[in-house]
Amino acid sequence: MIHPGVIPTIPAIDPNPLPAPYWVFKLLLLVTFYLHILAMNLMLGGAALALLARLTSSRHPMRSRIFLDVAKKIPTLLAATITLGIAPLLFVQVIYGQYFYTSTILMAWPWFLVLVLLIAAYYGFYFVAHNGKRRPGAAGVVLFLSLALVLLIGFIYTNNFTLMQTPARWAARYFADPSGWNLNLADPTLIPRYLHFITAAVAVGGLLLVLLALARWKHDPEYAAYIFRFGGKTFEYATMAQFLIGLWFLISLPRDLRMLFMGDNPIATAMFGVGVLGSLAAIFLMSEALRRQNIRMGAFGVTGVTAAVILCMSIMRDNLRDAYLKPYFHPSQFAVKTQWAVFPLFLGIFIGGVILWLVMLRRYGLFTSTRPTEE
Amino acid sequence: MNYPVWDVLFGSGLLIALVAGLHVFVSHFAVGGGLFLVLTERKARRTNDLALLNWLKAHTRFFALLTVVFGAVSGVGIWFTIGLISPSATSDLIHIFVWGWAIEWVTFFIEISAVLLYLYGWDKLPPKLHEWYGWIYFLAAFSSLVVINGIITFMLTPGSWIDVHKFWIGFFNPTYLPSVFFRTAICLALAGIYALITASVQKDPDLKTRIVRWGALWTVPSLLALVPLGWWYIHEIPASLFLSARGPMPTATHFASLAWILLAVTFALMLLAVFTPRRLHLVFALLVALVALGAMDSFEFVREDVRKPFVIENYLYDNSLYASSMPGDGGFTVDNLNNTGVLHAANWINQRNLTAGNQVEVGHEIFRVECQSCHTPNAYRGIHQLIEQRQWDPASVSAMLTGLSLMHNGVMPPFAGTDAERDALAAYLNSLQTITPDPSTFTNGKLVFTNQCSMCHQNQPDDPLFSGLDPNPQVAADSLKDLPSLFPLMPALKLNQTQRTSLVQWLNTQRPAGKPGAPPSSAAQGGN
Ligand code: HEC
Ligand code: HEC
Repeated sequence: MIHPGVIPTIPAIDPNPLPAPYWVFKLLLLVTFYLHILAMNLMLGGAALALLARLTSSRHPMRSRIFLDVAKKIPTLLAATITLGIAPLLFVQVIYGQYFYTSTILMAWPWFLVLVLLIAAYYGFYFVAHNGKRRPGAAGVVLFLSLALVLLIGFIYTNNFTLMQTPARWAARYFADPSGWNLNLADPTLIPRYLHFITAAVAVGGLLLVLLALARWKHDPEYAAYIFRFGGKTFEYATMAQFLIGLWFLISLPRDLRMLFMGDNPIATAMFGVGVLGSLAAIFLMSEALRRQNIRMGAFGVTGVTAAVILCMSIMRDNLRDAYLKPYFHPSQFAVKTQWAVFPLFLGIFIGGVILWLVMLRRYGLFTSTRPTEE
Repeated sequence: MNYPVWDVLFGSGLLIALVAGLHVFVSHFAVGGGLFLVLTERKARRTNDLALLNWLKAHTRFFALLTVVFGAVSGVGIWFTIGLISPSATSDLIHIFVWGWAIEWVTFFIEISAVLLYLYGWDKLPPKLHEWYGWIYFLAAFSSLVVINGIITFMLTPGSWIDVHKFWIGFFNPTYLPSVFFRTAICLALAGIYALITASVQKDPDLKTRIVRWGALWTVPSLLALVPLGWWYIHEIPASLFLSARGPMPTATHFASLAWILLAVTFALMLLAVFTPRRLHLVFALLVALVALGAMDSFEFVREDVRKPFVIENYLYDNSLYASSMPGDGGFTVDNLNNTGVLHAANWINQRNLTAGNQVEVGHEIFRVECQSCHTPNAYRGIHQLIEQRQWDPASVSAMLTGLSLMHNGVMPPFAGTDAERDALAAYLNSLQTITPDPSTFTNGKLVFTNQCSMCHQNQPDDPLFSGLDPNPQVAADSLKDLPSLFPLMPALKLNQTQRTSLVQWLNTQRPAGKPGAPPSSAAQGGN
């Protein structure tokens, strides 16, 4: 029997060298994860607020419009979430493969089920987008189910990404049950960490409404003012709640890891500081914007600050992972042999792709006020 | 070996087959159907065919809902699944081809954006601009295929990558080109086949006729082109890979025949649709699609099957052992396992010490790390069933384990580990059920051959089993007492007197007529 505490079984790195320096992948991982998490927040938060609006629409007639308005955006946001999620999934496997594959295998069935849940949720969101008006009752139910499914997917992800960084837990789990039904429920950080992400999504969902308010401000001021308020308040409350949940998450971390953010690691501490101050600033800015009915301040100001806060949080998340893995993982373990014959090609295609994408959006009229009418 | 093995009761291979089998059918449509959308739009606008244009709008929605949701998620799904089932191979492929995957991701991103804009742009954009999005979509989707194709074909024919480890050498491997053309033809064929589905629900019979004829223009020539392209593809694959397909259980050959047959049926059904377009019914359209799905999956299955026992040909076995040792192999090679023992070389072994009491449990662990990538105990390719079918007693099971890599012309990696570990594995396999062969089977020479020899020898006069045996029945029967002395890699099977005599008797009936004894066996012996 392998006893807990014995050096855990960490798979060896495969014989093929990294095809570019470690930091390149780390940077790509961070950047693409950040984009993914932004899209995910908009999608999940949007779906949650659409449902809330639907549930409370009998008392507030304006809210059935919110429901319809936001629900139409969810499929595209989910498409963005998935498409932007593929890249970090790729890069995390490049540098953390040994940890990632192992923890996914331990929870193979839930991980596999993600696919099924995702397809179901996705079609559900499309159903809601197309039937919200004609069949609001059915659409509400389907929206609820789809939201529950993506929440479940998020929960599976949190399980995997926490289990991945705690190799000491693997062997006992695996040998007790190799059939792929292990989650990471015993991890005290699991629930606060998950709630931390979900609450962030709700706050960002509020911002989505504020951004919609900005787009509607000229043509439909009454509705725009309403969703500005609805979104802005949601953002404020969710971000306030985040202080409690974040604290809970912080306390749940093992002491040495917690101390990373409180002085032990300068970068992590700085990110933490900026994150906390930024969140406070965002709440303040939002309440000012609401008070003055200044939609630009709410849309651009708060969104900008929040985007910066989320960036800090993403970096902290990465610091935390590396700290968890510190006893086992070090970048110098990798042999590196940069594939100069193809790496520049990727960079070229990547930059070309971004430009092409912007041109596509521009020609569609998404950057101009003479945009085509909303669907 | 390196990673834990996910213990799937019914066999993890089936999961991959399910996910990949459905995905390819949609992803190829996503490419061909993209070109179909733009060209059909152009045609409809040129001929001012409003009905066709309206149908195309609906068809776009069908296309987008299918490819953006199911196609995209199942594509990620293949990746999820192979990571769970072949983590070592996935890790290798990612490290070798990250930049390929990353480029594919960029094209995928463009693809998804373009198709959504194309879909939502139907009523908003001027025709030229709308078609522009369609073209971008198609080019991006086709680029995805061009990239992924390099990685998929690499797994089957890595070619000289094995020696030089260079990205482009592996990417443009021997089957790269035939596969690109072959798959492109599939894409175009599917565009027409899927068009039948949405055409079949149209009310206007003239419109239906126009769509079916137009779709057939895509499908019929492409299906015909698949024949020479398939031939080309097969000829670029080293003949040695097809050896197992000609073995005693020619699974790959069966699927290859099935693929050709279903291809022909698809062709026939398509012609039928062309001649009776007005009566086209949804059920019929779905039937065509189903047959085409069968044809395509059979082809994919052949590709997967001839690759056995490797995930990456000549590089990595299905059970994650490397074919030869190299720096960084982690000790996961057959040689190293033979020397140090699987219990010590493999990760993810719970009981590393073999004792008299834990043979079966340890054997189970060995089974998990060495065999379970292709077998299950009782279900898919179940060992239980295989042993039962052959009526191997415990001693035979143990002996046979030394010859796994020779069976079926090479579909399995060799057993790797020490003798004691092999006995433990045999003990586990025998614990699944213990066979006491019925003595009446001993007197049937053909049955003895089938059960004891046919996994390595074929019932053909030129097989060394026929040509290499002494012509004298008595001498021949005696020589079978000790198979390794006939050929050192043969398993040390203990056939009893009755088995040996009846086997030789039957063998002699199988030799070519007019040659009562063995043909001069110099050739066979010279080969040894
Ligand atoms: C690369 C995949 C692969 C691996 C790994 C593998 N096998 Fe097989 N095995 C096959 C295939 C394919 C067959 C042919 C049977 C069939 O097609 O149903 C087979 C057949 C067999 C048979 C029956 C042979 C006969 O014709 O009766 C036995 C027994 C067997 N395997 C045992 C094992 C054992 C024990 C291991 C582990 C040490 C193992 N195999 C590993 C693929 C594999
Ligand atoms: C695990 C695989 C395996 C099994 C089972 C097996 N053989 Fe063989 N046998 C071989 C191989 C490999 C050769 C060498 C083939 C060659 O030379 O091409 C061989 C060669 C022979 C030869 C020719 C030897 C020579 O001198 O050329 C005879 C005879 C023979 N086998 C008989 C049998 C009989 C009878 C059985 C069944 C009772 C049997 N074998 C079972 C693998 C096997």
